[in-house]
Amino acid sequence: MHVPDGLMDPLVALIGLLEFLAFITAASYLGSKRLQDKQLPRIALLSAGIFVAQMLNFPIGGGTTGHLIGAALFAILVGPALAVVGMTVVLIIQALMFGDGGITSFGLNAINMAVIAPLTGWGVYHLLEPMLGRSGISGKNIAVGAAAWASVFVAAAACAAELAVSYAISGGAYGIAATVSIPAMLGYHAVIGVGEAVITVGVIAYLWDVSADSFLSKDERLKNRAIWGRITSSKTLQASLAVLVVFALALPLYFLYSSEGMDGLERTMDDAGIEEENAMLASPFGYGESYFAVLFAGVIGFVAVALIALGLLRAIGSTKFRE
Amino acid sequence: MTYKYEDGTMALRDVDLSIERGEKVAIVGPNGAGKSTLLNLVAGFRMPFSGRVLIEGRELNHENADELRSEVGLVFQDPEDQIFMPTVEEDVAFGPRNLGLDDIDARVTRALRSAGIEGLAKRRPHRLSYGMKKRVAIAGILAMEPEMLLLDEPTSGLDPRARLELVKLLREMDKTMLIATHDLEAAAEIVDRAVVLNVSVVMEGTMSDIVMSKKVLQDAGLELPPVSKLFDAMGRMGYPVDSLPVSMDQAVAELTRVIDREAKRTSELRGPGNPRSDRKSRQSDARGNGD
Amino acid sequence: MIITHVRGHSALRERDEDLDTSWFSQLDPRVKIVGVFSFVVVAALLTRPEGVTIALTAAIALAAASRVSAKRLIVAYAAAFPFVALASASIFLFSGWDRGLTMLARTSSCVIPLLVLALGTETFDLFSGLRRLKVPGMITTLLMLTFRFLLLLSDELERMKVSRQARGFRGGRSLLDRYGLRVLSFTAGMVLVRASARADRVYEGLRCKAFRKDMIPWRTSSVRSRDMAFLACLAIVAGVLAAVQYEVLF
Repeated sequence: MHVPDGLMDPLVALIGLLEFLAFITAASYLGSKRLQDKQLPRIALLSAGIFVAQMLNFPIGGGTTGHLIGAALFAILVGPALAVVGMTVVLIIQALMFGDGGITSFGLNAINMAVIAPLTGWGVYHLLEPMLGRSGISGKNIAVGAAAWASVFVAAAACAAELAVSYAISGGAYGIAATVSIPAMLGYHAVIGVGEAVITVGVIAYLWDVSADSFLSKDERLKNRAIWGRITSSKTLQASLAVLVVFALALPLYFLYSSEGMDGLERTMDDAGIEEENAMLASPFGYGESYFAVLFAGVIGFVAVALIALGLLRAIGSTKFRE
Repeated sequence: MTYKYEDGTMALRDVDLSIERGEKVAIVGPNGAGKSTLLNLVAGFRMPFSGRVLIEGRELNHENADELRSEVGLVFQDPEDQIFMPTVEEDVAFGPRNLGLDDIDARVTRALRSAGIEGLAKRRPHRLSYGMKKRVAIAGILAMEPEMLLLDEPTSGLDPRARLELVKLLREMDKTMLIATHDLEAAAEIVDRAVVLNVSVVMEGTMSDIVMSKKVLQDAGLELPPVSKLFDAMGRMGYPVDSLPVSMDQAVAELTRVIDREAKRTSELRGPGNPRSDRKSRQSDARGNGD
Repeated sequence: MIITHVRGHSALRERDEDLDTSWFSQLDPRVKIVGVFSFVVVAALLTRPEGVTIALTAAIALAAASRVSAKRLIVAYAAAFPFVALASASIFLFSGWDRGLTMLARTSSCVIPLLVLALGTETFDLFSGLRRLKVPGMITTLLMLTFRFLLLLSDELERMKVSRQARGFRGGRSLLDRYGLRVLSFTAGMVLVRASARADRVYEGLRCKAFRKDMIPWRTSSVRSRDMAFLACLAIVAGVLAAVQYEVLF
């Protein structure tokens, strides 16, 4: 899921970068207090562990392999804010030292794997855990597994959508067509997600069994739950979450629809003709009409992100205040 | 300094110890006696369950632990855990730089010289031998110019020559030191005073005092160094051994004395009589005294 | 069977004592980072095949001039290649070969300078450069620690692997092999627990040296004339690329 440089449309990449900066700023702010003494080496160790895990490939049958993302594991173990910071660190090392992922696409990669994936994992876990947790260990395991699977799947969907958007607004110079990217990414990662789920369940079960407090102390776990409580009880946050979820789900569907419909057909026909030449020769910022559509989408996304960040800040701020 | 520490199991009980400036003190004791715990307490990595740690009259607490830690330089048992930077020079400069000290280059050179590794400045620590890594770790702490050095098992894992050289280095270093070790021989070479620790302080005194009190050593699960054992055996056999030497130097000195005394004694006893039976009787004497 | 991807790791590991004294490795890390990043950004914006070709040529020229070991560069590039190839192949299939090739050349001309930067700079220099470029201390400190712990983890992992094999474990053949995956995940958990004790120790080691949560840039290199020359060269290349893109040239 590491998108290299030069694959994403520059504008999409720029929006991704801005969104990422908003998230990492909020996450660093929220995490900095907890990153004291004991937490710092543990977070770094988990980052290193996830880096290694991303290099260990597990087979998914038929000769293909997949690798872990580990975002849900990270988020469930240390909470959302530090998971975002830690996953970002993993991605920086990969991009800087191994050429996995790039500089211009860093914002998007980070949004997918360091923001969307851990937050989804954390959210799904805390959504399911109260319902399933009562039925004992296996219920907890199911919650963890579902969280891991969802984190991979949703991150893959976001990545596919970004590719599709890039393709659509650049007229084919960047990105991958929705007809290819969405089914391929979702299908592949739906399977990969199972491996991720099994391994995440195993690792978390082991860690909770052997040393429950080694990564997240009991108070912090309770605090996490309190934060979750605030989120689910806050109307602003519910609304902005809903907007984001609808947005995330609708975007790939929209592109899938539009590229399969007349638009897509026309585009492929045009591609063979004169239009293609223009697209190739056009400056990267010459989007014409589609520019405004993208800008609009970007602004909505940014506002949604900003709202959520603010809501989180408020929710967490008030839990702190009560203590 | 007084501290009591509890961690589920009692790691240290009623330990009361004070160290004067310029003094070198060894803490000897078996594994699990709380030696490392004691060092960690002094370095402020853990806080005593009850009691307190005073460093230069200031009580150690969570707030000032970071600040006071640069006064007591803790050197880990495993240097691999303490060396961080990619070259020796940078690793040694790391501490002073964090403290915001001036004239870092001079400090680094001084520290490297005190640790006897001037020639390694540009080398990569992970490529050095274990003994050299230990010195790099010590230099890294020395560069911060702490009032006191805390050394955790400085001689463990070293080959004989590296061990000998390190002992010499530490003996000649002009610093307050607290050394946790189960290497009695090395301790005897370096320190003026020693404490036998086994959860609580069992005995305090010079190394030769400690070696002489066999019961204490036995209870603490400590083994005499080979030289001391040799002289112990000689004593039992009836040779006039006054004190048990621990290090080689002491052994040489003691042996000369023993030979002198033995020569005197045999000249006094010269005449009729079986020297063998004579020696046997002395041996039983020694046993009697031992009890 | 678990396959560990080498992924240019070997390239990183082989680095030793005399990390080359070539001009590239002696440049100020900040200059290298800024220069390479800017070049990558410009290269990623190119859409005309002519421009992309020039960018790729420039990237390869940089690799050659920097005297980074060609073998290491190729290993590292091969490790990063699947990400590049996947995109290019799908473009190739659905948008025609010329676009596919353009994509391949474009992504390559971005990846190669990054790899040259990584291979031609000491990792800690890179982090220190980032810190001096005002990347937040929390991030750079974590980067530094993470990098340090990677070595620690790979030690532990190696030990665990040996002990697992010694006990005859050979599971994890497929996703359906639940037992194998369980062993695998328990191993991962165990490695984490064991490494976390040592990680804490390493961190305490840092704190013994008065480390306080922020890495103070420890190399006081300054921007010299050759750094400026390097930047100027890259700027000229970028200017040419922009001119080609906007059809001033060709």
